[in-house]
Amino acid sequence: MWLQIALSLAVGVAAWQSAVSFSDIPSYVLPAPKSVLAALLDGISQSPLVRSSFWFHLFDTLKATVSGFAIGASIGLVLAAFMAEFRVVENAALPYVVGLQSLPKVAIAPLLVIWLGYGSESKVAMAAVLTLFPVLINGLQGFRSSARDRLEMMAALKASRWQTFRHIKLPGALPMIFAGLHIGIVYAMLGTIVSEFTGAQRGMGVIMMQLQTVSDTAGVFAALVLLGFTGYVLISTMRLLQRRLVFWAENGDQTRGI
Amino acid sequence: MRDTPAPGMAAEPLVRVSALSKRYATQAGEDIHALEDVSIDLVDGEFVAVLGPSGCGKTTLLKILAGIELHDHGEVLFKGKPFNGAQTGTGVVFQTPVLLPWLTVLQNVVLPIRVLGLSLPQGTARARELLELVGLKGFENKYPVELSGGMQQRAAIVRGLIHDPRILLMDEPFGALDALTRERMNVELQRIWLVNKKTVFFITHSVSEAAFLADRVIVMSPRPGTIVDEVKVPFARPRDIDLTSSADFGRLTTHLRHKLGSHESAHD
Repeated sequence: MWLQIALSLAVGVAAWQSAVSFSDIPSYVLPAPKSVLAALLDGISQSPLVRSSFWFHLFDTLKATVSGFAIGASIGLVLAAFMAEFRVVENAALPYVVGLQSLPKVAIAPLLVIWLGYGSESKVAMAAVLTLFPVLINGLQGFRSSARDRLEMMAALKASRWQTFRHIKLPGALPMIFAGLHIGIVYAMLGTIVSEFTGAQRGMGVIMMQLQTVSDTAGVFAALVLLGFTGYVLISTMRLLQRRLVFWAENGDQTRGI
Repeated sequence: MRDTPAPGMAAEPLVRVSALSKRYATQAGEDIHALEDVSIDLVDGEFVAVLGPSGCGKTTLLKILAGIELHDHGEVLFKGKPFNGAQTGTGVVFQTPVLLPWLTVLQNVVLPIRVLGLSLPQGTARARELLELVGLKGFENKYPVELSGGMQQRAAIVRGLIHDPRILLMDEPFGALDALTRERMNVELQRIWLVNKKTVFFITHSVSEAAFLADRVIVMSPRPGTIVDEVKVPFARPRDIDLTSSADFGRLTTHLRHKLGSHESAHD
């Protein structure tokens, strides 16, 4: 398998290189692989304390992504649980959920900058908002889809609402919850980057805008490679957590192949 | 049928079901008359089988006794007191094992102990004893998916018995198993019952299963679900599987089939 992956990557890079070599696409449109590699090595070899270092920005992006994800996922899960358990909560929350769901949520990024400023708060908020919805929707479906015979087994034991939730609904919802969390972590990074484009002092989005203004396309590509790798690490971490917690599900790895 | 006195016949019944009726509407809006004027007494320590075709309301009857469903008319008394909702005096074994895939066998069978707030160390010790009794020693830390269907249902029986209920309600517990495993499980269940001496309320649509296991067989007919016959089973215990090929057994099952009439199950 690894051989095939390596081979596929080699073919891709070779095609890219020949596209650059055998055509007259200017390097500010499509830089050569080797200049992207050079920009990447330059960006990651600098001290993390320097503003031109990728680490300086990546660390900030990562911090906002993870905090935003944690906040959004927590709110989403708690809200989903209360909506699933109490009709009053569901009816109260439904107009907002439906209304906000049809809104392209990244469009509120400028508003968040106005409210929270150019610091990390607006980034975290954007990441949290984007994480919240997929986690909420998937969680809600998960909590609702408990098998009837399991609920009857608990009813026969006169189990309380909390006991039924804790022993049946919550563990049973985990595969769906993880499906939501997988989307959530990707969206959290998306939200952070968009927020950094809109207005921030640090972050991968900020350095990409700077590189773009000086037409350093190779630098932009290098930043993208680094972001892609970071996303991969985040998703892999999530998958590891899922394998530990949802080892029992027949199709535990629902997001395989993404 | 030879008339043998059931154990403790003179005593007050453990459970008295009198003139029970239940109607409900299906999702399609169809009005189902599930039970009509059903009366049954369960004597302490007795094994009662309810035999009937599918749709005769026998599962509804079990769910009412389990406290999962409510009845419309009539009365259910447990030790002379009106019965409302679920209570700790009953254990239930469902048609499917309903084991939770994220818990080990041991964790699954002690779930009632945790839900009822009983002592977990004592419950765990009892679980190990019962698992050994049903032949699941060594499987305590396996997950349900690693067990065969018969083994899963044995674990479900242990879960039904773990909190030491007075009555064990069993809803076609072996219906999903193949014929050979089912026969073996019937012998097993008799052995477990002889050790535990619970009152068992056993629902089935298999004539031979009812005749082999029960002290008393109650025959039900569908729409509306009513009792059409009640037969005492005279065979001595422990019963051997060879009993099922004896002439007496054949006469009993023929009688029961006759009572089931045209609704006879195709599973026998």
